Amino acid sequence: MKKQIITAFIGIIVAFLAGFIIMALQGYNPAASYYQLFSYSLFSRFALFTTLNKAAPLILTGLSAAIGFASGAVNLGQVGQFLIGAMGVTAVGLWVDLPAPVMIPLLIAVALSAGAFYAGIAAFLRVKFNMDEFITTLMLNFLAGFFTLYLISGPMIDEKMYSPMTPMINRGGWFPQFGGLNFAFFLAVAALAVIYFIWNYTKIGYEWKVMGRNALFAKVGGCDNQKNYVRVMLVSGALAGLAGAIMVLGGMQHRFVKGIDANYGWDGVMIAIVANNGVIGTGLYALFFAMLQTGAMGMELETSVPSEFVLVLQAITVLFVVASRESAHLLFNRISVLLRLRKVRSQERVSKGDDSDAAFD
Amino acid sequence: MVNAKLNRPDIELIKISSLVKIYPPATLAVDQVDLTIKEGEIHSIIGENGAGKSTLMKALYGLIPYNSGKIYLRGKEINFGSPKEAVRAGIGMVHQEFMLIPSYTVLENVILGVEPTGYFGVLNKRKARERVEKLVEEYNLNLNLNARIEDISVAARQKVEILKLLYKDVDILILDEPTAVLTPQEIEELFSRLKRLKAMEKTIIFISHKLDEVLELSDTITVMRKGKKVTTMVNENLTKSELARAMVGREVVFTVKKDEARPGDEVLRINNLTYTDRYKQERLKGINFNIRKGEIVGLAGVEGNGQFELVNCIMGLIDDYQGEILINGVRIDNLSILERRKLMAYLPQDRKDTGSAQDLSLISNSIMTHHRINPGLTGRWEALLDPGASRELTGQIIDKFNVLIPGIDAPISSLSGGNQQKVIVGREFMLNTDFVLLDQPTRGLDVGSIEFIQKEIIRKRDSGVGILLISADLDELFNLSDRLLIIYQGRIVAEVDPAEVDKEEVGEYMLGAKGVAS
Repeated sequence: MKKQIITAFIGIIVAFLAGFIIMALQGYNPAASYYQLFSYSLFSRFALFTTLNKAAPLILTGLSAAIGFASGAVNLGQVGQFLIGAMGVTAVGLWVDLPAPVMIPLLIAVALSAGAFYAGIAAFLRVKFNMDEFITTLMLNFLAGFFTLYLISGPMIDEKMYSPMTPMINRGGWFPQFGGLNFAFFLAVAALAVIYFIWNYTKIGYEWKVMGRNALFAKVGGCDNQKNYVRVMLVSGALAGLAGAIMVLGGMQHRFVKGIDANYGWDGVMIAIVANNGVIGTGLYALFFAMLQTGAMGMELETSVPSEFVLVLQAITVLFVVASRESAHLLFNRISVLLRLRKVRSQERVSKGDDSDAAFD
Repeated sequence: MVNAKLNRPDIELIKISSLVKIYPPATLAVDQVDLTIKEGEIHSIIGENGAGKSTLMKALYGLIPYNSGKIYLRGKEINFGSPKEAVRAGIGMVHQEFMLIPSYTVLENVILGVEPTGYFGVLNKRKARERVEKLVEEYNLNLNLNARIEDISVAARQKVEILKLLYKDVDILILDEPTAVLTPQEIEELFSRLKRLKAMEKTIIFISHKLDEVLELSDTITVMRKGKKVTTMVNENLTKSELARAMVGREVVFTVKKDEARPGDEVLRINNLTYTDRYKQERLKGINFNIRKGEIVGLAGVEGNGQFELVNCIMGLIDDYQGEILINGVRIDNLSILERRKLMAYLPQDRKDTGSAQDLSLISNSIMTHHRINPGLTGRWEALLDPGASRELTGQIIDKFNVLIPGIDAPISSLSGGNQQKVIVGREFMLNTDFVLLDQPTRGLDVGSIEFIQKEIIRKRDSGVGILLISADLDELFNLSDRLLIIYQGRIVAEVDPAEVDKEEVGEYMLGAKGVAS
């Protein structure tokens, strides 16, 4: 745990230093740019809340990927499950009109089941035909992308608009805001808490964890791997579906807009990877990436460093955190071998000395 | 045998000086070892598992780099970067795991990588065959060059490995525990072959942890313990117990004491168990036997004669078998693995792949199966795990089974092999089932751990548990079993009383030389 924090810290520092050099070489003022990056993402209540709102879907897609990977279910279908979740709540939100206290829980349930359903297809294909979820989830992403695009440009299009999008969902389904902080953030944190609890305090979480590390050991120990695999896929899909839903329910638009998925699905996978599939780590990295993405806008505005620059920063962070995790391990090994060798050699000198004395007797 | 060596001038062939090998992060596997191998001798290196014998040889052979020290071959310093270089210099090693291509013939395996070629790189198989045939004759190896590896016995495969090295003109042979996979008769044959090789002026380094073998075979014996060389002795008037003392640093009880078994009710019954695998091979042919409470039934057999399939049928990992398996009178054929686990404990032969999740903590490894079966581990609700109780169970296993650990939250991989096995044995024994299935419970462990685990197995029996013990180690089977079954080609070919037969007889059954009504 301590080692993880250190490598994360080193990775982030190195990434920022590399970014510093790149900006300087490009003729920008790195210090001012970084200042703006933080000031637009952290240094005011509005900035902070924007970051937290941005973090909500990232936490969910990150969790979706992390829990799948850690259990040995390679769900790479966050993008598709996200879209299906978003489409599910949009459809229900358009046709159903209820007061918010009933409507919101209903839509959350719809989002969870829509995402779970979509991941469930891949799980079914795996269980029934032994098709690798790694491939099927990827393929299903394309299906979901084109299917939702068809819906918003045809059957569900808002005729008044100039680009493909649905009409706004009914008012009862809109997430409340608390002084700029959206309900979505609390929902994401709650999901994180639930997953953390399952992972660490339930039998099923234990079985998932073991399955991810050694499936045969779990099986022989009496765990039902097939059932657990399906459950993990469903939970993972539900989380991604919820991420999609909050972009409709908690966003500005309250409708399904073309490109609503932005890059949340893949960012989630990336976050899970840097966090080494840890639950808490996923939450923290989601916040960090949300901060970068939020601050990017301000940075562009103030110092004209293009906001895409944070993509560079993100990529370097991922590379360095992952690389430093691995190389720190190697480095640690090398140092301990050298220390041990020195100890062995110093003993050798002592014992060799004894021997030569004995030889003269 | 000993005198033969004395006739030869003592030429130092290999000299290893102060060799140190540290496995990262800080496991000192070989600790400043000095060793001299003389030309034309059979030099045995013995020691418990983890004593550093194999590591030392791998360092010599160029398989792993070493951290410090020097190796000389015929007075010249060497440091092989790869086994290929070692072979070129005339050193060859036969590993415990054979490195052969199953679908190739013996000849093809032997010449692989050093094929003689004619014009335009065309393979000259005839030339190759002539040379290999000459070698087979010269060393009396008795091999069919046209047989496919997959069709020949383990002992024959070992011969192919040796032949491979001879073909490459190797004159120093390192054999890493070559007898582990052989029956007593095959061991005899191997030994006479090795002696023949010696007579033809090859030098042989023989790694083993079996004292009898080493005493029978070697000219010189080097004993290693915990990475250090304890001593090198000329094999003259050495006794087994002298050697054993050097090896473990204390007297070893070779036979675990046990009282007469008092068998009670039947706990396991297998009726006419037959299993055909998906390649239409009949792996188990009408197996019938039973085990009663309070007895240990041993299952002897050369590996690959159906033990694996039998275990998987009992465990439920194979479910398309015919016949019946009953535990405590209950048919388990249609039960899930979890339901079976309520009736039986299981110690798999593969500690790392089946018995544990190496990356996970000691706690996570200790509570497996208990978490579903043992109500004490359930938290407030059925779905919850009680972290306190999990910790407590782990603590109990550690105390009861003398496990040495760095900390209860450490990954199980940070424990030594013997301690890992104790954790797994402890976990399974604490399930308190009437039937226990033990598959190679002490394979690859140090003598201390073997003794401890064998004692625990006897104690388990005395508490009224029925035990099926599968082992490749005949000594273990003779030590522990009350009855001994012998499996050969998927059939139980004999049931014997270990007190009344000797190992040779069991070996004959294992090889199919006896007891098969064909």
